[in-house]
Amino acid sequence: MLRTIKKYKAPYLFILPFFILFFVFQLIPTIWTIYISLTNWKGIGSPEFCGFGNYQKMMVDDMFWESLGNTVVYWLSGLVLIICCALLIACLLNSRYLQKDSARSFFKTATFLPNICAAIAMGLIFRMLFDENVGLINEVVSMAGGSKIPWLTSTTYSKIPVIILNVWRYTPWFTMILLSGLLNISKDYYEAATVDGANAAQQFWFITLPSLKNILFFCSVTLTVDMWKLFNESYILPGPGTSNSSLFQYMYESGFNVFNMGYASAIGVVLILILMVISVIQFAVRRKQGEL
Amino acid sequence: MKKNIALLLAAALTAGSLTACGGGGDSQGSATTTKAADQGSGSEQKAPEGGDSQGSSGTVFPAGTLTVYAMGNPQYRQQYFETWLENHRDIAPDVKIEFVQTEGTADIREKITMTALSGATEDLPDAAMLDPVTIMDLAKAGLLKDETEYLTPLLSKMVDGAAKDATIDGHIYALPDSVRPQVLFYNKDIFDKYGVDPETMKTMDGYIEAGRQLKEKSGGEVYLSYIDPTSKTWRYWGRRGLMPSAGAKIWDDNGEVIIGTDEGTKKALGALDTMNTEGLLMKTTIMEPALYDAINNQKVATFCIGAFWDEFMRQNCDAVKGQWRVMSAPEFEGVGKAGAPVSQYMGIIEKGDNPYSELFRMMWYDFTFDIEAKEEWVNSMEAQNAPYSNPVSIEMLEDPFWKEPSDYYGGMSFREMEGKCLSNGADNLIVTPQDAEADEIISAELEKYVAGNQSMEDAIANMDKNLKAKIGKAEVGQ
Repeated sequence: MLRTIKKYKAPYLFILPFFILFFVFQLIPTIWTIYISLTNWKGIGSPEFCGFGNYQKMMVDDMFWESLGNTVVYWLSGLVLIICCALLIACLLNSRYLQKDSARSFFKTATFLPNICAAIAMGLIFRMLFDENVGLINEVVSMAGGSKIPWLTSTTYSKIPVIILNVWRYTPWFTMILLSGLLNISKDYYEAATVDGANAAQQFWFITLPSLKNILFFCSVTLTVDMWKLFNESYILPGPGTSNSSLFQYMYESGFNVFNMGYASAIGVVLILILMVISVIQFAVRRKQGEL
Repeated sequence: MKKNIALLLAAALTAGSLTACGGGGDSQGSATTTKAADQGSGSEQKAPEGGDSQGSSGTVFPAGTLTVYAMGNPQYRQQYFETWLENHRDIAPDVKIEFVQTEGTADIREKITMTALSGATEDLPDAAMLDPVTIMDLAKAGLLKDETEYLTPLLSKMVDGAAKDATIDGHIYALPDSVRPQVLFYNKDIFDKYGVDPETMKTMDGYIEAGRQLKEKSGGEVYLSYIDPTSKTWRYWGRRGLMPSAGAKIWDDNGEVIIGTDEGTKKALGALDTMNTEGLLMKTTIMEPALYDAINNQKVATFCIGAFWDEFMRQNCDAVKGQWRVMSAPEFEGVGKAGAPVSQYMGIIEKGDNPYSELFRMMWYDFTFDIEAKEEWVNSMEAQNAPYSNPVSIEMLEDPFWKEPSDYYGGMSFREMEGKCLSNGADNLIVTPQDAEADEIISAELEKYVAGNQSMEDAIANMDKNLKAKIGKAEVGQ
């Protein structure tokens, strides 16, 4: 091994900075988190070893299960809504109706704007929009003849504003990724399909989608990680109890509001395991399809 | 050649990343040295600790900034201490004071804990505004100075129980800052308009009855009070209000969870349930514009809450100035207590050789016992519509200044009422290190109740179940 390192010292030196940062800021903290999850620790003093006590507590903690369920809802809704919206907008940006470069640039910029806005600032604006008494959304609902909806004060509706904010913020980023994929599809395919009599829907189904397969897979993997790490959106739009809390948020609150660092670390370890399992499944499916 | 350049570049990158990782440590190290040197020189000049701080004259404190973590509107408190420093340049010629605004005690605890954990003790504040739970945790971790020796001779000069929540195993770990009672704010004009006698609100049953009458006579226009869909319902209605005044308990004396079977809890949360289900409470977030609008439009008649609410009313509800009055919070039949006072403390941080411990004690002493300086500051606060609380000094409270009429309360003296309302205060719920977690569990169930997802009986049963499942037994026994 030493001989190999000596032989390829230049490449190894080039990748060394990444590994130093990885070890210091990722691997060591992860190992430390696993250790702390086996202790009772309030952030000060010495951690007291408690075995799997925190994990047992998690099994009977309704708030943990509710937060986990909410995160699954955010993940699945995000996966479907964000990718569909992003694909639709990317196709529109790539369409022949936007021939002028200036128009295309304008719409590209406008589309990307939500992604560069500060999440907390946007969250506060959404909180005003979804306010039960004076919010714009309920004004529209009232004008349409409906009764005011308790968006953020009801356990039934409290996840909806979070999902909408989430979709609104993440769609632009994935739109750009999918647009780059669309730009790489040769126009010859579409011309040939048009000659063969394929309509727009058929062209989308048989040319666009298969060509974007790898990019869509990349989007689904990164989106999965992003959705399981969801924090800002649910934190700034709180509902009753943990009715719309994400698991990441619950972990933070357990750690820094309640100062139960051991329990928060145990939630963190569970999050790592869930993400690993999902990623392994995603890669296994792709491998089975012969795409990897 | 190319290979050498590549190697050089890679080495530079590696060195760069290493420097980035280690840079903080170096700079921190040098900072520590400088500070340590400062502290060293300071300690040489430091006054002997303990006893009455008046006796420390002649000491000169080292140049620097005395940092205090605080919440609320600490910039107003800073005004008092800046004036104090200006008047004491002989002992602190180059000392500045900085009150750092934080979100609350949890934020203060997080900042102190993380700083202590990182080992950067020189970055810790010199003092911090604390609540009983935080005092308990920080004292346990050895992060608070033991004030027993200093405070014991002063206790007789302070209102009853001033140091109670800062006392752990017979040691006092923080300086009392304020003890504020639960009071009942009511809009006299609303009561006069609908012919309801405020005196009926002396008892909880009478309070609820007054709400029914106001609702009926106003055609549902006027609410008795508010209910908040967030955690503030538990904080203001529950933990500090109805629960102590009903003699309710979360834990028994051994720390076992009893909230599910406790009669006091049923009485306290049952009263809230009655008011809510009968539509006497306006469902809105407290301290938000919608509630202030309702107050200014005479749609909310009372607030059964801590005396701190005075500051928010004065700042945000000018349209109803002169209409509000204050009385003692309603009592439950058979208990006869009027809600628990809320204590706040100033803790001096134990960070090795803290050069400003003694200086801060001197400042605290004058803030607490110097009648003239305190009155001057309170007048300034009144002029700025800024917050202040009644003093903890008995002698100061007896001064006529603390009985002066308040314009906002139609000539009634708010300060005097605040003092009077302390006389029949209930005992606070037992303080345990598990309180922050318990509050989160209880509040979540109460929030679901307010959202209409469960009955109050179910909420109490779920509180009991989840407290047992997640906490089990609390560490009781100060």
